[in-house]
Amino acid sequence: MKSLRILLTTVIVCGFLIYPCLAGAKTLKIGSMSPLTGQYAADGNDIKQGVETAIAIWEKKGGVPGYDKIKYYPQDSACDGKQAVSSANKLVNLDAVGVVGAYCSSATLPASDVLNDGKVLMLTPASTNEKVTERGFQYMFRVCGRDDDQSKAAAKFLITKLNIKTIAIVDDKTTYTQGLADNLEKSLGDKVKVVAREHINQGDKDFSGILTKIKAKNPDVLYMSLYNPEGNLMAIQAKRLQLKAKLMSEDAVYHPNYLKIAKDAGEGTYFTFGQPPSKDIPEVKAFLDAYTAKYGEPGSYSSYAFDATNILLTAISKVGGDDPDKIASAIRGIKMQGASKYITFDPKGDSGSTYKVLVVKGGQFMPFWDPDSGKDL
Amino acid sequence: MMKKPLKFIVFLIWAFILLFPMLAVNEGQFVWDRLLKVMGVLAFGGILVMAYNAAMKGRSLKSAMFKGGLPFKVPKKVMIWTGIVIVLILPWVTDNYAKDVAINVLIYIALGLGLNIVVGLAGLLDLGYIAFYAVGAYTYALLNTQYGIPFWVALPMGCLISALAGTVIGYPTLKMRGDYLAIVTLGFGEIIRIVLNNWDKVTQGPNGVLGIKAPSIYYPAIGDGGFQFAQLYMKNLTWLYYLILVLALITMAAVNRLNYSRIGRAWMAVREDETAAELTGIHTTRMKLFAYILGAIFAGVAGAFFAAKVRYVNPSSFVFLESALVLCIVVLGGMGSIPGIVLGAAAIIVLPEMFRGLELYRMAAFGGAMTFMMVFRPEGLIPAKHKRPETDVGDVPLEEGRGRAES
Amino acid sequence: MDVFLQQTINGLTLGAIYALIALGYTMVYGIIQLINFAHGEIFAAGGYIGVIALSFLQARGVLERHPILGLFLAFFLAMFYCAFLAVALERVAYKPLRGASRLALLLSALGMSIFFSNGMMLCQGVYDKAYPHFFTSGGFNIGGAIITNMQVFIMVGSVILMVTLNIFVNRTRLGKAMRATAQDRTMSAILGINADKTIVTTFVIGASLAAAAGVMVGLYYGSVRFDMGFIPGIKAFAAAVLGGIGNLTGAMIGGMMIGMVEIFAAGYLASEYKDVFAFIILILVLYFRPTGIMGVQVDDTRV
Repeated sequence: MKSLRILLTTVIVCGFLIYPCLAGAKTLKIGSMSPLTGQYAADGNDIKQGVETAIAIWEKKGGVPGYDKIKYYPQDSACDGKQAVSSANKLVNLDAVGVVGAYCSSATLPASDVLNDGKVLMLTPASTNEKVTERGFQYMFRVCGRDDDQSKAAAKFLITKLNIKTIAIVDDKTTYTQGLADNLEKSLGDKVKVVAREHINQGDKDFSGILTKIKAKNPDVLYMSLYNPEGNLMAIQAKRLQLKAKLMSEDAVYHPNYLKIAKDAGEGTYFTFGQPPSKDIPEVKAFLDAYTAKYGEPGSYSSYAFDATNILLTAISKVGGDDPDKIASAIRGIKMQGASKYITFDPKGDSGSTYKVLVVKGGQFMPFWDPDSGKDL
Repeated sequence: MMKKPLKFIVFLIWAFILLFPMLAVNEGQFVWDRLLKVMGVLAFGGILVMAYNAAMKGRSLKSAMFKGGLPFKVPKKVMIWTGIVIVLILPWVTDNYAKDVAINVLIYIALGLGLNIVVGLAGLLDLGYIAFYAVGAYTYALLNTQYGIPFWVALPMGCLISALAGTVIGYPTLKMRGDYLAIVTLGFGEIIRIVLNNWDKVTQGPNGVLGIKAPSIYYPAIGDGGFQFAQLYMKNLTWLYYLILVLALITMAAVNRLNYSRIGRAWMAVREDETAAELTGIHTTRMKLFAYILGAIFAGVAGAFFAAKVRYVNPSSFVFLESALVLCIVVLGGMGSIPGIVLGAAAIIVLPEMFRGLELYRMAAFGGAMTFMMVFRPEGLIPAKHKRPETDVGDVPLEEGRGRAES
Repeated sequence: MDVFLQQTINGLTLGAIYALIALGYTMVYGIIQLINFAHGEIFAAGGYIGVIALSFLQARGVLERHPILGLFLAFFLAMFYCAFLAVALERVAYKPLRGASRLALLLSALGMSIFFSNGMMLCQGVYDKAYPHFFTSGGFNIGGAIITNMQVFIMVGSVILMVTLNIFVNRTRLGKAMRATAQDRTMSAILGINADKTIVTTFVIGASLAAAAGVMVGLYYGSVRFDMGFIPGIKAFAAAVLGGIGNLTGAMIGGMMIGMVEIFAAGYLASEYKDVFAFIILILVLYFRPTGIMGVQVDDTRV
């Protein structure tokens, strides 16, 4: 019996030694978290498609060195903290190296707790709430802009370029929109009087009540700090009520859908948005060609998700492995032109924001003004 | 014999009519590929079902699927002990993700049991139950972040506030009957959610409350100064699992005792015929209010635990869909039956997780499955067994029979 | 004063839409005691068919040449489609459960609601779908308030539909059959009224009204989305209960009330709490008059 035991032990030990060699394909696991269902499914899908586009380009180039293939796990965060935490747990379990997500700040914040604990890199392409990068997480990065920057840019535009005296602000009481609206109020200071500060709930369709209220106060500008579906509808109703104020909104409403749905009611609306990519830049053109071939027109966040994925894969290939600390510092060292903007990272993980002001003219988004330089575009 | 294929063809025609405008019209063109794909899948599926039926030789699909049970006989005791062992050692043999799912299942079991008191025992159609869950969660969240109150102290306070909420929501509804109650409780659920979302000063609105501390326990440790108490925060999923397990077991025991107590029978009397119950001396309003309060307390405890586990609460976790989900658990599992609710909670939580691969189809599949379950097994997975005193035939499944005319 | 007038016009328009949806809820409840949670999705489906039909006609150039005809065709197609949808719903999800507990019916309805809204998302995509702006411009001034052509159309259209419904229910044989079955199904069956056929008719009519409301909403607001049925559905149900469920006039009154409360709360009080006000009114009315404004005693048998 002793010989049998020795035989068995030897076999098992050999098995343990040989197994890694037989392990076969080394897969790079990348995840994303975005709302694939629910009311933000539009943007969530844009993000997913942006990631897929980036991965497709990398695979065409030969994949990531050190790995045989890339496996992508899109998760549905549904803009819900609980689901985001659950998705994050799942991705940590799958040994994902990096995650692109999430969309809503209310999903990103709790999920980042989980991912940071699990030492999984997280790059958000859309969460603009300041808190995201203010918690000292070293695996957390942000590819999009921040609310305080966007509102500063908007305030500068309203004060110096448009020279307005009164403004009405509407938000929908979610983390992002309300944060932006509050920041805007702060940035406007006492130079502009806020004659109306209204709130709606998401999913609302009828704004005639508050728009009538706002019309009576006669502001110079109506600032819609909303998401796309509500923004579209509000523009239409504002025009219908013959509201004289100019309309202005932010990057969540900036989407081809606004033009499609609001049509002539959207003419003349101002938007702040991260530097609109000029199609002449080769990286931008490459992204657009690859994306539109498969998915049609990109949404606001497709390019950010695309860049986030690119950055992640670039860093991983530089490191040649999956050590999260090494990848994090590799990301911090990256300086590259992306499809959304020129990307560098500061110690907090922010990549800076360069918001420009655009206007809807002739049914198109046209660059209008640059808050940094103060010049027309 | 010809009826089945004829029915199937009618079904296909209906499907075509309904799907055609949605799938096949694009601006000015007709696009056939999606429609044909879906029709193909339906036709194929239907043929499979008919073939299966034919193979079963007349025994209906329903009976084969649900009443057959396991193909081999497993002694009940073995099953029970295996179940107990699995539940106890779960955290040691599974990964974080599975532990997270298990914890969620236990939370929903607690919720299902609580709602069972209101809907199953007392017959009050509550569509806003999640409001009490929210109250419990936010109570702990705010007490902890604003005043630093630890979990175990906040728990009884949370119970008190939930009970208060139960009274406030229960009181106006006492005179209402049946379906009016449904919409009012739904309204209350929405009111609570909207208030939580908009009352920034107190609840931080849509941002939610971050940084809630996990429950902690003191344990004796030998330190520099000798014998002292050290604090351990139960952030670890294993600790949390055992905590919620204990809470769920307490809830189960409580509900079980209630089922067979005077109070339980009073509730059932109110449920079956309120006027008659009143005549036999049961204080129906007090009983109904008590049902609400007790249900609220159970939900509040579950809510406090939820806040402590996720360490972040925000209003979007407490939407109407959650109330519907808990109701589903109670009915799907079998109203009033504790093992049924356990199974129901497991099904409701685990199945969507399994479907996570089919992301986009997940919710649609869930909705369809809900209807399917109701149509084919409305008495639930494990119907409650109840002794019917008058008939004295022993255990009879509490099945709301088909064909009973609505009076 | 003009603000008040404007808000009144807004409220009446919204109220008319809620009334149309509420009618469907109340009719189905009256006849089979079911809260048809999927009714909101039928409303949304109507909106979708409307936009599909209109953009089809627009792409073919028909809409420019015959706008009125195109509009009516869109309405007709939407109502026709939703009738089919409602009958399918009834056959699949409600008929098999005719004798079962109310709760089972409720959950079946809920399941179908989730299934439909997600189904529409799968079929038509997640983005809003834009309605052609053909009819949404133009209006006129009354005392400082603006009333658009679309608002007039909605109010007039819903009145026409409601009057037609009233005539149908009160003057025709089928309408009488519906009322009889709602009152006492067993007795009506004994007297030879086909309960099945009556129930199907009820669903068809309710769905047609909801479909019309859906197209109106699409035209009025400019877009439709797969989840647009849920909240209006709940509010319309509240309106039906407010007016006394089972009562047609009650549903119309309830719809108007909820619409007005919503707009006025948004305009004069806090707009983010406007849904709360609607529910509070509902709870207050039910507290002081537990059967709704025009309601009769609800059968309080077991759940």
